[in-house]
Amino acid sequence: MPQNVITDEELVVIVREKDKERYDEIIRRYQLKLSHYLHKFIKNPDELEDVLQEIFIKTYRNLNAFDSDKKFSSWIYRIAHNEALNHLKKYRRQIISLDEHEMDVVDKKMDIKDKIDASISKIKIENALSQLNEKYREPLILYFFEQKSYEEISDILRIPRGTVGILIMRGKEKLKEFLN
Amino acid sequence: MNKENNEIENKVMGQIKSGRVKLRSRYVFLAEKLGLGSAFILSVLLAILFFNLVLFYLKASDNLGYLTLGNNGFLAFLESFPYLLIVSVIVLIFIASLIIKQSDFSYKKPFGLITIGLVVFIIVAGIILTTTDVAEKIEEKSYERHSMGGFFDAFLHFGLGERVRGLSGRIVDISDQIITVQTPRSLKKVDIRHLSTPLSEPLSPGLFIVFVGKSDDGVFYAYRLHIASEQDAMMIRRGVNRRFGNFNYRKSK
Repeated sequence: MPQNVITDEELVVIVREKDKERYDEIIRRYQLKLSHYLHKFIKNPDELEDVLQEIFIKTYRNLNAFDSDKKFSSWIYRIAHNEALNHLKKYRRQIISLDEHEMDVVDKKMDIKDKIDASISKIKIENALSQLNEKYREPLILYFFEQKSYEEISDILRIPRGTVGILIMRGKEKLKEFLN
Repeated sequence: MNKENNEIENKVMGQIKSGRVKLRSRYVFLAEKLGLGSAFILSVLLAILFFNLVLFYLKASDNLGYLTLGNNGFLAFLESFPYLLIVSVIVLIFIASLIIKQSDFSYKKPFGLITIGLVVFIIVAGIILTTTDVAEKIEEKSYERHSMGGFFDAFLHFGLGERVRGLSGRIVDISDQIITVQTPRSLKKVDIRHLSTPLSEPLSPGLFIVFVGKSDDGVFYAYRLHIASEQDAMMIRRGVNRRFGNFNYRKSK
């Protein structure tokens, strides 16, 4: 990373104390990442856009609650996670939707015995993830598809770091059972 | 996708620039944190104090004394048990745990362990508090209706109330198997003709007695009794003395 690029945390301090218009940089930094994350739960593009907009507005409103000694990405993912859950509760849906490249991630990281036919694998993996209990599904999504560390997942889901490890391990086992 | 991204950015920034969406003041968050911190400290302190009062109640009221008097004694024990104090302690621990769960640090440690630690802390602190005279002072204050003590009246005076299956107080008169007893609330007639066990020692005015039996139409029919030692039922003794004065004073009247 070039040295002149300011960190998220520094940018938050600037927005809070000096220039609120610099918030657009935060939006640009996180828009794609959060879209990608939310896409696991929300298929409809209009609904996804509404939720994403709400996340950025909530994040802005609560910027003064953010502790700049902590990691901003975990904090904004926490807000996104809560908003996604609220959305799912509101519409009572359990949707898991993967991109094409994410099937490869599952294939590689899950070490599935019988390779699934490419044409049906996407549906199979989506179904398997949908069937998983929410407590396993969330850490798996953040770990595999959002490339978050255990520490970050702990901060996003507000569960102990050790529990994150256990949930991911058990979630993987259960996912394998579904897929095999 | 880029077009969509720009749309979201424009919409959000439009609301921020127009002032429709504003930063919540840091003082609001500070006040929230302070409020939660204060509520946590208050609930833990009250839980310690109430647990201390539970121990005090068990020691100073007639509640445990009933347990030595068989099945009827057990019913009297249940009737005089400090439910309100126990429920208050549980509710306060529950509130403190909820506040911890809301805090930023709690998820770093297993919540179960934190709660167990909190309960152990409250129990130990409550036991340590029994070495002071805080509970006695609260009991004393609870008689004063116009002070904070009045708040504790509901919790402690349950131990001094009239009961159906138990009675404790000071004997002031014995005549023809009917004993007159001073309780913290009133003078009661106790009929001892139906005692299931013979008296181990003679009764005399001035003794403090714990009876089990049944109250009916203003008379208490005792099935069993025991004589309270000097250290037993101090709360009842203080309640009787407060209402009737010391024994010699009543006798002279």
